Amino acid sequence: MAGKIFIAIDRLTLALDKLSAKIDLWIPASLQTDNRELTEFVPYHAGMVPILDRQTTLPPKKILLPQVETLLRFEHRKDPQNPLKVSVSLDDKSEVRPALVFGARPCDVKGFLTLDRVFTNGPYVDPYYLERRRNTLFATLVCLQADGTCFCSSVGSGPADTEGSDFRVIPVDGGYVVDALTQKAQSLIDSLGDTPTQHQEAQARQVVEEASQHRVGDLDLTGSAEAFRKRFANDDYWQEMTAQCLSCGICTYVCPTCYCFTITDEIENMRGERLRSWDSCMFYQYTLEASGHNPRPSKLNRYRNRAGHKFSYIPEKYDGLIGCCGCGRCIRSCPVSIDIRQIVGRLKENACESE
Amino acid sequence: MIETDTMQLHKLVEEALPELDTMIGWAAGEDALHTTPIFIRGAKSIPRLIWSPFCAQNLTGYLVKPPALKPADKHKQIGICVKGCDSRSLVALIQEKFITRDRLRIFGIPCRGTVDWRKVMRQVRLSHVRSAKVEDNRLIVDDAGGTHKLNLEDVLARKCLRCLYPNPVVYDVLVGEPTVSRIKPEDIYRDVDALEKRPLEERLAFWQSELDRCMRCYACRNACPLCVCQEHCIAETRDPKWLTLRMGIPEKFLFHFIHAMHLAGRCTECGECERVCPMEIPVTLMKEKLNKIMEEMLGYVAGLDPTAIPPLLTFNPSETGV
Repeated sequence: MAGKIFIAIDRLTLALDKLSAKIDLWIPASLQTDNRELTEFVPYHAGMVPILDRQTTLPPKKILLPQVETLLRFEHRKDPQNPLKVSVSLDDKSEVRPALVFGARPCDVKGFLTLDRVFTNGPYVDPYYLERRRNTLFATLVCLQADGTCFCSSVGSGPADTEGSDFRVIPVDGGYVVDALTQKAQSLIDSLGDTPTQHQEAQARQVVEEASQHRVGDLDLTGSAEAFRKRFANDDYWQEMTAQCLSCGICTYVCPTCYCFTITDEIENMRGERLRSWDSCMFYQYTLEASGHNPRPSKLNRYRNRAGHKFSYIPEKYDGLIGCCGCGRCIRSCPVSIDIRQIVGRLKENACESE
Repeated sequence: MIETDTMQLHKLVEEALPELDTMIGWAAGEDALHTTPIFIRGAKSIPRLIWSPFCAQNLTGYLVKPPALKPADKHKQIGICVKGCDSRSLVALIQEKFITRDRLRIFGIPCRGTVDWRKVMRQVRLSHVRSAKVEDNRLIVDDAGGTHKLNLEDVLARKCLRCLYPNPVVYDVLVGEPTVSRIKPEDIYRDVDALEKRPLEERLAFWQSELDRCMRCYACRNACPLCVCQEHCIAETRDPKWLTLRMGIPEKFLFHFIHAMHLAGRCTECGECERVCPMEIPVTLMKEKLNKIMEEMLGYVAGLDPTAIPPLLTFNPSETGV
């Protein structure tokens, strides 16, 4: 039957091998053979085993928004007859190949919905992001591994959310039932497995049903955007909330929705590249102006920007979309255990210790 | 034992608080395996203060990193909790005149080792951790899957397994009983020794593979109490532009080795750089190698004597042939 297949656990690598023959495949895995906690999305090659029993340390963000990408290459040429005359040649060719991300989670994919609004829906469309977005499919797991730091249900998503996904991968006894959700997915699914039995289909329906009922996280964001605006100028609140912060870039780099970037020209002699790189509002240099003035001189200003961006500016600009996917990575990876749920949750409290 | 130490700490802090501007210690973090720093200004926050094997963070950085904690009232002191390793950072900061000894009230805590939560997760995949405690040589964790008992040695931070100074080297009051080191002095560089035995190509490949994972989040630098250039670090300055923003191994290599070289003879091996690294890169190992050289060539160990001058901070015009 088209549109729905069953992949037995012992046939998973075979299915991935078949997929990777048709399309560039990314899977959650550990790059190292030694025993590490660290997992991330990596290009698949035969024999790799996907790690599907837990959320990856790093989200799949880099697949659509690489940490560093070359926007264009340039070369200055002097006219041999007249060395004062310099011409510039530009080359912005880039190749984007169709790709499939297997084993993302609803929060991972939800993260891209924020990036989509910024890069593809505004007055300026980003051709680099758009091209990759159009060519990348997501096979998303129904997530049964929510941890104590997860709060996807609080941000309008949930463990069975399919928004932004092309396939839904449902763990059942002995394997996975995979649903094709989009036209593009339909064309890839047929040869990957067998038709599910009625029992497997029924079990898959039950897994989805139960996951849909499961509320992950109890952060209530009603009124948070407004509460943020009211607290904006209260430096004491932000000072208290961010005193621990080390101003490192971990929370932004592990965040599926952080998209701030910087553009630099890296030049050697007469040629160079224009690079776009991830930036982080936790860094002092983030909004440092050429004059030396910095509108966000201290970590309280910068962390406030992070919280405001996700829970106030984005919802207000993009029809209530929350700029956070509730994956909990920033909490789990923070070296000083800063919890964004508390910082945002307490915005609505009447008074903080110092007020 | 730990519970008694926490109670003793509460009592000592309560007594000292009127003379303190701020008291820096640890409080419960996002789950039972984590703690978070707490900055106490009023007595009602004292009950949140804890001491446990999960108090891994070195808090001394808050005394020097922008915005550095300074007493609003210059007659008051800053109180701070330090383990043995952390106290050595204080010594180095005092030596380098970043802080003044008499402006501090140091609560020294003998430490039997701190737990590395990533090592715990490698042993057993925990979810919704409810409680965690150390009893004798075991870590006992309760999570959604039940109770897990782990061998403490398997989950202690690497720095704790090779710690020679579990007792604070500088303090005003001591919380709890002094303890003994887990390691013989001749073994403390065993990780460096193991790496040095490998051929050059293998060592190069090791560091290339480790550093390739670096995301340049600069958590290692920002967590280091002695990495004091902070906002003017050469890794980020654009004028002059020492490093590009490319994510190649050469850029990462250069950053990490500059970081390590700037700490030669200053690093007290508190292990913060390695603890905070989200990519699990053994960044302290580079500094251990430099410290080994410092000890062998110059007989100097950082962070022990507040009156000593670290060798690379001296300048003697008559020196030749160095």
